[in-house]
Amino acid sequence: GFEQTAAEEVQEKLGSASRISRDRGKIYFEVPARSLPQVHRLRSVDNLFVVVQEFKDYQFKENKEDALKDLEDLVKKLPWTDPLKVWELNNSLKKKKTKRKKHNLQSPASRGKLSDGGVEGGADQSNTNDQEDCAQNPVAVEPTGGQDTESPQGVMSRNGVEEEEEDNEQSDVKVEAQAGSESGTKAGDSQTGEAEAKVLRFRVTCNRAGDKHSFTSNEAARDFGGAVQEHFQWKADMTNFDVEVLLNIHNNEVVVGIALTEESLHRRNITHFGPTTLRSTLAYGMLRLCDPQPTDIIVDPMCGTGAIPIEGAAEWPYCYHIAGDNNPQAVKRAANNINSLLRKNESKDSSTALGVPLDVVQWDICNLPLRTGSVDIVVTDMPFGKRIGSKRKNWDLYPACLMEMGRICTPGTGRAVLLTQDKKCFAKALSRVGHIWRRAQTVWVNVGGLHAAVYLLRRTSERAEHTGAFW
Amino acid sequence: MKLLTHNLLSSHVPGLRPGGGFPLRIELGHPSELPPEPSPGYEADEEFLRRLHHVLLEVEVLEGSLQCPDSGRRFPISRGVPNLLLTEDEA
Repeated sequence: GFEQTAAEEVQEKLGSASRISRDRGKIYFEVPARSLPQVHRLRSVDNLFVVVQEFKDYQFKENKEDALKDLEDLVKKLPWTDPLKVWELNNSLKKKKTKRKKHNLQSPASRGKLSDGGVEGGADQSNTNDQEDCAQNPVAVEPTGGQDTESPQGVMSRNGVEEEEEDNEQSDVKVEAQAGSESGTKAGDSQTGEAEAKVLRFRVTCNRAGDKHSFTSNEAARDFGGAVQEHFQWKADMTNFDVEVLLNIHNNEVVVGIALTEESLHRRNITHFGPTTLRSTLAYGMLRLCDPQPTDIIVDPMCGTGAIPIEGAAEWPYCYHIAGDNNPQAVKRAANNINSLLRKNESKDSSTALGVPLDVVQWDICNLPLRTGSVDIVVTDMPFGKRIGSKRKNWDLYPACLMEMGRICTPGTGRAVLLTQDKKCFAKALSRVGHIWRRAQTVWVNVGGLHAAVYLLRRTSERAEHTGAFW
Repeated sequence: MKLLTHNLLSSHVPGLRPGGGFPLRIELGHPSELPPEPSPGYEADEEFLRRLHHVLLEVEVLEGSLQCPDSGRRFPISRGVPNLLLTEDEA
């Protein structure tokens, strides 16, 4: 849902224009390979891939066997050399960071590092759209020139969709079975120099969408993987792989890529998870939507673990961010996450030391202890019916929230960015407060398998006298 | 709790006169080294600005309380977080 935001960030930070794929959640752009470190620092993306080749209009044979045979034959014709060089370069970048063990990605309790990597907090539900066959969700980079790493390399990054089914094994198991059992070699080896290993381990991940294909993503991954194994003489290994090959099929658009990220970036700032911790990339997208200006006061009045204000303070340090919640656990977690951030800040650069523009308060969203008109931006993840609270509570909560948020927000210039799954309830509540809030934009996103919406609202010029004036 | 946050907070005890909830009185502060009013031309006074930045963003109240000027009701600050929830009866 935030492809446009990601494209803007890429333009701003890397100076490259992006193409937004029809396949949701991906953007493609080209940058020189030496920009790879900056690409990794993008805040609106979850995964990065380097594109091996892209086919805009691939003609699939109708017969399943023929179609799959074509995919197999494709492998030896693909221009692997340059993308693999980018992959190697990427590995050397990864080594410079603290070496970390390749986790089994099913450990939700693992602590993430506060610096660039985030830990995948357990498996999320896959998208159950019956037209889509999703085994993984990576992204790609598109190489252009045919020289070495100096030539401009394209990058595609993906955001917005939380189908991080990292442990969906279906296609991977088949690849592994075909190449022979590899279970004996799993432990230990993965930590030693990946680039130096003569025989690389790999897996193929296939995403397929469209109703005209005669095969499934599993079958494609299996056969493509078999051909990759033949061609490179690599070993198939679904958990301890060095190279993750992506095969993305969206109707007639086919993209082959190699993964450049192994863990999702999206939980990067959070060490203490709560029951519904928001992804940093989604928090970033929401914040960008409201276009924060220096000196803006930005409040998240239902902050949970504080994902949004923490992302805010990191990327918009010239604004002031306040996190608040009524729940003592949430407040405690938010405060802990902020302290972790402070400690990280201190160790990095002691001269510009302390002042992180971020604070935590315990309060009641329906009765905020904030002065009228004192806040420029309200950004929050409203309680979803399914995860926290219930739909019936939302019915009462939403209008009350919108009123209070309207009161504390600066008339005329104030804005709010609100994420909710309960769109019906929200729309109804919004219709009652038309004199304070106007809908400016809506972004449709997918949060842990739930279809949600992000609403950008603008505060009208109507003033509130004091507490209770709107009631 | 940072001082800049305190600048935005107002007591919401019901039945206060308009504006009566602000400013909350900080108990257990220590005297600030700032003058009571900024002197004219303060924007150019680097030294003053440094001290102002320090007080607003780098000093935190960890333990103490905030007192509503009108009602006298105290709100505790503990481990750096002020708790401004009203009780069931108060609200």
